Amino acid sequence: MNKDLDIYVLIKQVPDTRSKAGVNPDGTIDRAKAGKMLNPFDAFALQAGLNAKKMGGPNSRLFAVTMGPPPAIDILYQALEHGADATCILSDRRLAASDTLATAYALCRTLEYLFKKNGKKADLIFCGLQTTDGDTAQVGPEISERLDFTQVTYCEDFSISDNLLHAKKIIEGGTQLVSAELPALVTIANSYTKLKFKSLRGAQFVQDVKRASKEEQAKYVEIIDLDKCEADEMRCGLNGSPTIVSKTWKIGVVGGNCKMHQGKAASELVSEVFKDAVMLKEFVKI
Amino acid sequence: MAGEVLVVAEQVNSQVANVTLELLGEGKKLARKLGSPLSCFVIGHNMEAAVDAVIKAGAEKVYLADHSELAEYKTLHYRRVILDELSSWATPPHTLLMGSTTTGRDLAPRVAAFFETGLTADTIELDIGPYEHTSGIDQTKIGYFPECLYASRPSFGESLKARILGPWKDPQMATIRPGVFAKPEMLTEKPEGVEIKKVAINFQPSDYRITIKETLREIEGKIDITAADVIVAGGYGLGSADGVNLLKDLAACFENSVVGASRKIVDLGWMTYPYQVGQTGKTVRPKIYIACGISGALQHRVGMQKSELIIAINRDPDAPIFSFADQGIVGDVYHVIPEMIKQLQEKNTSKLAELKVK
Repeated sequence: MNKDLDIYVLIKQVPDTRSKAGVNPDGTIDRAKAGKMLNPFDAFALQAGLNAKKMGGPNSRLFAVTMGPPPAIDILYQALEHGADATCILSDRRLAASDTLATAYALCRTLEYLFKKNGKKADLIFCGLQTTDGDTAQVGPEISERLDFTQVTYCEDFSISDNLLHAKKIIEGGTQLVSAELPALVTIANSYTKLKFKSLRGAQFVQDVKRASKEEQAKYVEIIDLDKCEADEMRCGLNGSPTIVSKTWKIGVVGGNCKMHQGKAASELVSEVFKDAVMLKEFVKI
Repeated sequence: MAGEVLVVAEQVNSQVANVTLELLGEGKKLARKLGSPLSCFVIGHNMEAAVDAVIKAGAEKVYLADHSELAEYKTLHYRRVILDELSSWATPPHTLLMGSTTTGRDLAPRVAAFFETGLTADTIELDIGPYEHTSGIDQTKIGYFPECLYASRPSFGESLKARILGPWKDPQMATIRPGVFAKPEMLTEKPEGVEIKKVAINFQPSDYRITIKETLREIEGKIDITAADVIVAGGYGLGSADGVNLLKDLAACFENSVVGASRKIVDLGWMTYPYQVGQTGKTVRPKIYIACGISGALQHRVGMQKSELIIAINRDPDAPIFSFADQGIVGDVYHVIPEMIKQLQEKNTSKLAELKVK
């Protein structure tokens, strides 16, 4: 049997772009008004964490960690419903405008705080491949570098034996099977198993936690700031970010030459287009 | 003087990846603006031909790490040779570019974190230009910087483009998707006097913590949507994963065709990553691109706007896709696509009849 594993899942709350709420007419997002959701990639990472916990010894533990404004606590409750043992959020105004390097630093401080508190360094850290609002896929490997963990990105499947993670990962034009010594940081591709439905027991447990006293709640959802995790504020937020957005500009409407077909039956619309798009004929399969 | 413009080359089976050549082409422009040399870091095994290729693509200096351990990309081994070499430089590179591939995205953040420098992901435009930083709590950042790497990418919300820069620390890093920049014209003969520096290789025991058991390249390699003449791509407007079958049925009507996906439906798991078109997916230039239920956010547009003919189907007449498509149908994909298939099959029958007459 495998040893007991301490597993951490890093998750993020992102704007919900599936709904129209908070989407300005020009296509930009009003983050304050937009609905929020768990980053879809992180749902796969959470499932990976849950699966890894089953692979570990009976006293394995799963922790979910996030960084963000207080409403992001919602996704920690979500993680508890699915079976996380405890969660933690790093929330601090001084984190505003963090780029990936500053984010990785702050999350590292949070993780190291938790390692100390939990009496043990992580065996495994899971992240989603990337977020849907930043798209960089950088924070995971940046944390791995800082913690000197091994790393497997684009992981599609894995198992654990002894002190090794055996993983199937996506590479350019194919897949690869690798073995990485623990502790390892793994970013999970969205071809991994989908997050299963939360259990009734999990949902009830979260209801109980929400009704419990502040002290009791803090056992499951701990809220910390930069001081608590001994992070250097000059390395966080805008101060700690080596990059800034110096300018944004709207992309002008190009073309405007689109021939529109509308207000008729589909059959008519399609034959109009096929008449105009002469080129199509060349590619129709015989 | 500004430091070098350094491109970290990517290779498979000792062959240089196209994205590396593309970056050398673009990197040359940056190097000329800075008055710095364009250099290339080649890592692998038996890399003689690769070194020739990067020189013919414009590299003016080559750093070569050739070792049997490096034949296949490995995070910790590749990291080691890059960090060891760059740490020994008196002046770091001004700019460091890597492909935004599964390899580049694995390696670049580790290099950036080690040097505590900035890294812009999935850049779509690069340039060199000035920046003045006038305010902020951190007084050490204030100043005028005449030569910053400008790395632009669509910002979240996707109809805005954001210029990202960080002149405070070199190397200023960016990753770029394959296909974003054109391949440079290759020199027919290798120019004289290009310095090839063999870098020191000192692997540490900790670098062997990750081992490759097996590499399966040909299987998924078959999915190369960039080689198709016709792409039938779907977006969130498909409504559900079932809509993907509709795309496949329509694609089946064409020669050398393939289905494609917007990021949103890949995020939702309706299609897999190799099919994704856009800034964080593939950049495609097919003859015909049929966009079904795709709104046409900038993120998607940058990956397909060079298609020869774009046909868009969307229920929303105000969808941004209609601002750059050639033919637009306002309607439900579930009505329009079956009708397309039907009419294409009719065409097919008539085409067959034509052939029979002949």
